[in-house]
Amino acid sequence: MIYRIWYFIRETVVSLWRNLSLTLAAILTVGISLSLVGTSLLVREGADRATAQFQEGVEFIVFMNADHTPDQDAAIRQVLDTSPAISRYAYIDKLAAYEEFQVLFVDKPDLIESVTPDVMPPSYRIVPSDPDAANVAELARQFSTQPGVREVATATDAIRQIEDFSTRVSQVLLVAAVVLVAVSAMLILNTVFTAIGARREEIEVMKLVGATNWFVRIPFMLEGMIHGLIGAGLAIPSLFVVENEVLSFFQESDVVPLFRGFAVPDGFVWNTSLWLLLLGGVIGMLGSAIAVTRYLDV
Amino acid sequence: MIRLESVSKVFKGDVTALREASAEIQRGEFVFLVGPSGSGKSTFIRLLNREEVADSGRIMVAGKDLGSLSSWRVPYLRRNIGCIFQDYKLLSKKTVWENVAFGLEVIGRPRPVIKRQVTAILELVGLSRKADRIPDELSGGEQQRVSIARAFVNRPLILLADEPTGNLDPTTSVGIMRLLDRINRSGTTVVMATHDRGIVDTMRRRVIELDRGVIVRDESRGVYD
Ligand SMILES: Nc1ncnc2c1ncn2[C@@H]1O[C@H](COP(=O)(O)OP(=O)(O)OP(=O)(O)O)[C@@H](O)[C@H]1O
Ligand SMILES: [Mg+2]
Repeated sequence: MIYRIWYFIRETVVSLWRNLSLTLAAILTVGISLSLVGTSLLVREGADRATAQFQEGVEFIVFMNADHTPDQDAAIRQVLDTSPAISRYAYIDKLAAYEEFQVLFVDKPDLIESVTPDVMPPSYRIVPSDPDAANVAELARQFSTQPGVREVATATDAIRQIEDFSTRVSQVLLVAAVVLVAVSAMLILNTVFTAIGARREEIEVMKLVGATNWFVRIPFMLEGMIHGLIGAGLAIPSLFVVENEVLSFFQESDVVPLFRGFAVPDGFVWNTSLWLLLLGGVIGMLGSAIAVTRYLDV
Repeated sequence: MIRLESVSKVFKGDVTALREASAEIQRGEFVFLVGPSGSGKSTFIRLLNREEVADSGRIMVAGKDLGSLSSWRVPYLRRNIGCIFQDYKLLSKKTVWENVAFGLEVIGRPRPVIKRQVTAILELVGLSRKADRIPDELSGGEQQRVSIARAFVNRPLILLADEPTGNLDPTTSVGIMRLLDRINRSGTTVVMATHDRGIVDTMRRRVIELDRGVIVRDESRGVYD
């Protein structure tokens, strides 16, 4: 058994090396397509988390101007305290907003230094008695006309925006990824086909002396699988780049409350990595299996 | 060891390569297949190791009915059958040693066994000192010896030879025939297609003559014509 394993490894490596340029093309294409698959999964997960946070009690947020007057504030409070449409609310003052900001961007000290409590907009987080979307929208409209109000963000708006955004982005990525996955499977098929062609004579001799069909096939299947796995290996670092650069870019955007939750836990990235490896292996197996059954009439 | 019962083989384009051929070959026999070009000698041989499948009739080889042999069993059949050809079919990038070892390696033999058997067979065919050469560095006769070594290293029951001396001069051919004779005397059944009148006439073994796919003569201790 050990001799067979050694034989398969040796033959596979030799074949990969002999076919270097095609091999590299196949591996890179797998890498790119799996990066897209992974990014699409990350964006989707980020969006799910962002909206989930917002859903912890339907609310809308009234952002005040940083320089609003006490009179304007009192008027808003008056409405909130007396209106039967409002169930409860929380006031986030400048200091609290600043503290939240600090927690959120603890890893970006220069960003924190660039703001002071003074410039943070205080806000009211409001839970209406009736969470119906039309009702919330009407309330939001009313509050937005009040003097001193900078803007009103409704949870429904926010959720819809993020969902729209993530659906669009992840769908575009997914379509591109599916096309590229097909392309990479074909490239692997082609590479394995070339490898088979390069060894016609050896294969003829193998059949002649009574090598089993699987013995002939396995090095080629392994070759395809290795393309897929190395490609997936290339895609995995890109997941971490997406996590660290792209998702955090959204978190830093000025619609802070909307994208606050736009992050994925490290565990998710590792999980996705495993899935990508599996997917890469399957793509490779599939491409080479087609090549082997079509061109290797053993 | 080998039995054909009314075997026919028709290729597309309506070429009848073999028509109602029947013959029985015992263990340890040496059989020449003769006949003009296109008479079906190669087809006869290719049917025996199931490179081709008969259209009708029955073929028994080493106790197995080839007609009902499932395709995954074919490799195991072939481990009992050595084959040599006019063009040797050696791998040009491998050394003599590697060419012979390859035949054992791909049927999963352990390395120590391979080492032992390859050493022994290269001794038998007289190529021990050229084990590290590649085929291009050898004469035609030597290359055919390598191919015989590869075919026989696994000690098959049957050796099929399709014009093994077709590319060799008469002196070299005699050397190859001595080797095949020796292999045959060790108990291996040999079936050899040939155009070489001199060889057939001096060896005086069983001769099966084909003409347009029909067996027209089957003589023990026969001659070419
Ligand atoms: N794969 C094939 N497809 C179609 N026709 C074939 C095939 N193989 C052989 N034939 C035909 O079958 C007939 C017998 O061919 P075969 O090769 O058995 O003859 P042969 O006796 O070996 O000839 P030679 O002495 O020239 O080697 C020929 O007419 C040949 O053209
Ligand atoms: Mg022939």
